[in-house]
Amino acid sequence: MSELQCIVVTPEKTVVSAAVHFVALPLFDGELGVAPGHTPMIGRLGCGELRLETDEGIERYYVEGGFVEVNGDKITLLTNRAFPAAKLDELTAREALDTARQKPSHTPELMAIRDRAVTQARAQVQVARRNRK
Amino acid sequence: MAKARALDKRRKSIRNIRKITRTMELISTATFRRAMDRAVSVASYTDRINDLVAGLVRSGTEIRHSLLRQRQSVRNACLLVLSANRGLCGGYNGGVLRQAVLRWEELNATVENLRLEVSGKRGISGLQFRGIRPDETFIHFEDRPSYDEVEAIADRYLEAFETGAFDRLDVVYTKFESLSRQYPVAETLLPIGDLGGDRTAEPSDESQYEFLPSAESILDEVVPMSFKMKLFKCFLDAAASEQVARMLAMKAATENADQIIAHLTMTYNRARQGQITNELLEVIAGADALSK
Repeated sequence: MSELQCIVVTPEKTVVSAAVHFVALPLFDGELGVAPGHTPMIGRLGCGELRLETDEGIERYYVEGGFVEVNGDKITLLTNRAFPAAKLDELTAREALDTARQKPSHTPELMAIRDRAVTQARAQVQVARRNRK
Repeated sequence: MAKARALDKRRKSIRNIRKITRTMELISTATFRRAMDRAVSVASYTDRINDLVAGLVRSGTEIRHSLLRQRQSVRNACLLVLSANRGLCGGYNGGVLRQAVLRWEELNATVENLRLEVSGKRGISGLQFRGIRPDETFIHFEDRPSYDEVEAIADRYLEAFETGAFDRLDVVYTKFESLSRQYPVAETLLPIGDLGGDRTAEPSDESQYEFLPSAESILDEVVPMSFKMKLFKCFLDAAASEQVARMLAMKAATENADQIIAHLTMTYNRARQGQITNELLEVIAGADALSK
């Protein structure tokens, strides 16, 4: 079975470098699945769950923004933040969502900041909930 | 006995100092290893960003962005100085300060409003001593600057640059080239002069990559990202250089202490020997006097 080499890097360290069969990643507008033989592409990432299907089963991570590059059998994710989904706690994520919702939004800039915080918190809640199942 | 005892006391205190400098040397060696590892992982991230830019160029995208454009008149500028929170690291802080004052005077001559931001207690006090007041100071950057902290500062700069609060951002820091070579530099980070990546690549008709959503939108993200990475790299370089500087300074101090200890031991032994000879002479003289 052909395999993909998946690398996830944040500015601080390389989080994942593994051989996988399939990757599901959060693009800015929805989820994208990448199987071996995918056409070369560069895309913008959103916030959400990254799933890696490996020999040992499915590994879940939370990633936040950045880019993905698919080239041949190499898939590289450049992201601001990435950590295993098991590290996310649904309750704390929900609290973060509540505080994010209460941020002031009376100017366009503040509105954009609030929206970003809400999107991130919402994505975290979702990933945490899915991981629990 | 007085002189010998005083010498012994001094020797003991120097031994204690030697212990401290030796420990500091070991600690900064360990911290430096970590700082170095981080610098390497950032390099791998920057390499990938450069690959992305090269991919964009090959696809025939015109590299244009507001952060890349040189402004015609530079009226407001910002200078960021990265120094250490602590001393005892040789010429590290001195080198940064010298470079900072130079750049400060140079910019002050051409720019109307110059904002100064300083990281590190040593830099703050050093500049204040020279009569330059920083507008903003940071002292929370230790030997491991985290990306989140740097990103917060980078976001503020990006916003200020785009809204026109300043037209130029300069950073003075110590560049880390290798273990044996670090030097203070002043670099202009905004506007971004060079995005990195292979710009000479020929745009070919058949684009290798598919872009989601579009090459322009990717570029919009890559450019600020590239700036953030550059700023982060500055912080990491400064941290690594500080550790190297401290390592070398403490190594020299330990060697110096060794020399002083050897010297004092010799003088101490001589003084002790002299005292014993003296006492013997006295005893013999006394015995001679009695037997007469």
